[in-house]
Amino acid sequence: MVKKPKDYKEDFLHQGFDANRTDYSQRGYHLEVALNVNQVRKFAQTAYDLGFYIVFVAGLHVRPDEGQEKENSGLEVVYQFARYDQLYRIKARVSAPKSLELPTISDIYQGADWHERETRDLYGVVFDGHPNMKPLLLAEEDPDFHPLLKEEEKLKFLAEVSWPSAVPEVAKKEAEPETGR
Amino acid sequence: MLESEYQEHNRFFLNMGPQHPSTHGVLLIVLEMEGEYVLDPQPVLGFIHRMHEKMGESRPCQNFMPNTARMDYVCALPYNHGYVSLIERKAEIEVPKRAEYIRVITSELNRIASHLLWLGAYLLDLGAFTPILYGFDDREHILDILESITGSRLTYCYYRFGGVYQDIDDTFIAATRAFVKRLRKRYSIYEKLVTKNIIFIKRTENVGIVSPDMALRYGMTGPNLRGSGIAYDVRKNEPYSVYPEFDFEIPVGEQGDCLDRYMVRVKEIEQSLRIIEQALDQLPDGPIRAKVPKNIKLTPGDCNFAVEAARGELSYYLVGDGTSTPYRLKVRVPSYSNLSCLPELGRGILLPDLVSILGSFDLVIPEIDR
Repeated sequence: MVKKPKDYKEDFLHQGFDANRTDYSQRGYHLEVALNVNQVRKFAQTAYDLGFYIVFVAGLHVRPDEGQEKENSGLEVVYQFARYDQLYRIKARVSAPKSLELPTISDIYQGADWHERETRDLYGVVFDGHPNMKPLLLAEEDPDFHPLLKEEEKLKFLAEVSWPSAVPEVAKKEAEPETGR
Repeated sequence: MLESEYQEHNRFFLNMGPQHPSTHGVLLIVLEMEGEYVLDPQPVLGFIHRMHEKMGESRPCQNFMPNTARMDYVCALPYNHGYVSLIERKAEIEVPKRAEYIRVITSELNRIASHLLWLGAYLLDLGAFTPILYGFDDREHILDILESITGSRLTYCYYRFGGVYQDIDDTFIAATRAFVKRLRKRYSIYEKLVTKNIIFIKRTENVGIVSPDMALRYGMTGPNLRGSGIAYDVRKNEPYSVYPEFDFEIPVGEQGDCLDRYMVRVKEIEQSLRIIEQALDQLPDGPIRAKVPKNIKLTPGDCNFAVEAARGELSYYLVGDGTSTPYRLKVRVPSYSNLSCLPELGRGILLPDLVSILGSFDLVIPEIDR
């Protein structure tokens, strides 16, 4: 039977990750974690130690924020983890640097192996330290063809495809008059 | 290793597939062999890759519906279910109760059809010809029932945002009840023919043991996971649709070998029948489709929806940008993660055991390749 649900936000905050609770009924996951490149492996290790299983690794192509075109490639990688013993889903997101290199987690979660190869196929993000970074779904003859990269005019900023951030929420609260309670 | 050393150790490479009967589709597995032992099996994917995810983000969301059934053609309705539920969650559409009941009934029928097909095909892999004839006989009844309301026999496109395409009638209900009765009578046939068969047990017991830790590292789900003793089923763990209203159990195995995975699926057929019976008994009256705007706007932000397909957890992950076309649509399919453990699981085993393991995983290749 499903035991009493536990919230894992504190566990991740404790390890120094930027973790935020989300509205499950709206988004379908409970915790959102924003990672930087150096945290990816530590995050995967933490998730593994806490007993999460890997759901998927996927890419997302957005337009880099203005003024950051030099450092930011616009490629985001999304990791999702969940639990077998209770309902709890985590989404973690990391921006790939201009070099398009991210550390692999395929030695922690072997299941990430294929997901990372697929992400390289479709987006061109290379996973550093991966034992076998060859095309998986696409043909080996043309490793530089990445079908899910969007055309320039179809690209949108990350803020345009994200939920309204917490900042306007606070502003809204301040703007609303206190209802006497 | 040098070629001479290879010959000395009796080592060679063997291509299993893409036209091999036990790969169940166009899957190639490159086997490094030493005599009859497999040293390193490496699956080669992508022979029928169609880039469904690109199609998903290049057309309005309702136009993607037919694609969902073409990923897993054996158990298409849960794929329909996951996609419509995803859009309904994103666009906050309320679904009438009757529609959800119809979805559950048809999804469970489809799950049984998938398990019956798997049962026949698996036994065929192991060298038993007869069970597939019985399995297909029973499955044919389900296909007829589903054809009467969905209009197709395999790649269904029956669910709609906010409901289903058309209502079920008394003929459908009577045929489904008759089928439930019929299949229960057939259990003893399957048991005599397969479950108690000594050759079958010898081929599956203690073969391909998946430990709970291994399942976690690879993200395995579905009957393949439950065979290892973990009672994880999205229908119970992350209840969606009207599944919480039904009384059913999650069968689990003990040690995670091929026999456990077989037993889990066979027991699941009975659980699906129980769900169908309860759903038919409690079927509410009312509309089968909510009023839904013609152009559904997907608000900015991401959203995930998971359902239990016949092979495990199917997750749709959508990123909206305010238009009716998804900005990104990721489909997480169960067989992809399930198969990815093969290089570890298949190291150092006999070639016939590899055939047994592959069959017990219940692979559907179009789903893996997408």
